[in-house]
Amino acid sequence: MRKLTVFNPICLALAMLVSWVSAIQVLATERPLVIAVNYPLQYFAQRLLLTEADVMLPVPEDADPSFWRPTIADISTIQSADLIMLNGAGFASWVDRVSLPRSKLVNTSAAIKDQFIVTQSITHSHGDGGEHSHEGLASYVWLDPSLAIAQAKVIANTAKKKGLGSASDIDERLSDLIADMESVDEKANIALGNSQNTSLIATHPRYQYFARRYGLSIRSLEWEAGETPTASQLQEMATLAAGTGAQILIWEAAPPDDAIAKVAELGLQSVVFPPMAHKPDQGDFPEAFADAIEKLAAAVNAAK
Amino acid sequence: MDWSVIGKTILGGALALATTSASAHQLAVFASVDCETVTVEAKFSNGKVAIEGDVRVLDGNNSLLQTLQLGTDGKATLPLSSVDHSAGLVIEVDTGSHENYWIITPEDIARKCGS
Repeated sequence: MRKLTVFNPICLALAMLVSWVSAIQVLATERPLVIAVNYPLQYFAQRLLLTEADVMLPVPEDADPSFWRPTIADISTIQSADLIMLNGAGFASWVDRVSLPRSKLVNTSAAIKDQFIVTQSITHSHGDGGEHSHEGLASYVWLDPSLAIAQAKVIANTAKKKGLGSASDIDERLSDLIADMESVDEKANIALGNSQNTSLIATHPRYQYFARRYGLSIRSLEWEAGETPTASQLQEMATLAAGTGAQILIWEAAPPDDAIAKVAELGLQSVVFPPMAHKPDQGDFPEAFADAIEKLAAAVNAAK
Repeated sequence: MDWSVIGKTILGGALALATTSASAHQLAVFASVDCETVTVEAKFSNGKVAIEGDVRVLDGNNSLLQTLQLGTDGKATLPLSSVDHSAGLVIEVDTGSHENYWIITPEDIARKCGS
């Protein structure tokens, strides 16, 4: 009995500790799960909800969120989420290939679809039906900060409706977020104010909304991100540069040094501007955007 | 939760979007489950039924379980009892010129089986 009287308090303490730890684990896992199909939406939701939800971008870093093919396990996780934030404009093709609970879906660009940009169609032929075209929508809407703000507002409203956080807190955080995005927009307007109608080339068609917002003329190639272009790709770029007068090439990801050197030999400066479908290597959305603007403006000024 | 119509809505949405979005002439694949059978449907975004094509059924590890053929109605059916679907199924349709897929999770199947 004496042993028991000594042992029992220890057992009790251990039991309390175990149950306390378990309770914390349960609380930690009971936070609402919010799924984002790209980094900008993830960033906005994280700014708006802070620790009140787990905001997840399920796409691996080495996969393009536009064309990612999820696994069954990925979709099981996504189906279990409390909120699934879609970009719309045809971004994230996987969302049309799975069953998703409509009550949890929010299309963050539904209210701005009148501002979508229809992309150039590509005419080709193969197999069934002969020659046909693939017309599409530009989907990187967040590269126009005014449209990014519209997406953030949708996320804030949905989060409030679903009770994912305090409405007053979300409103306050939304105001801060909008202020940051407007600041970036203003910086871009100032930095690129003298760049209107400047011809630029991008290694991939990502910058349509950015170009429209700031009056830039950006023609696009179809190069793989971060790879050294082939000789024929360089020739294509040189031809495009000759036709447009472009002196700047925008890369969506930092290429090997030799790629920059080859482009420079053909008379074009290189600027890396991550389109941020994934989190940029440095900084968050507004920081990386501002940094890219600064570099782009410097290159434009140097080219004059 | 209106799961039963969601897949079809998405398919319809995908087809509708296809006229203005990134798939003006793509293959849309949809697979529905009724606890006993998986029904696969394949249509081109211009409305035409895909009348020929391989339907590959893969498991949760992306291992090929079966290959079926699309019928002239653009459909193929798979008895659930003929495959191990415990980790879900991936349905790939390949017409030779176009490919697409549909993912069925274990939860999709469980919902249809009343659990």
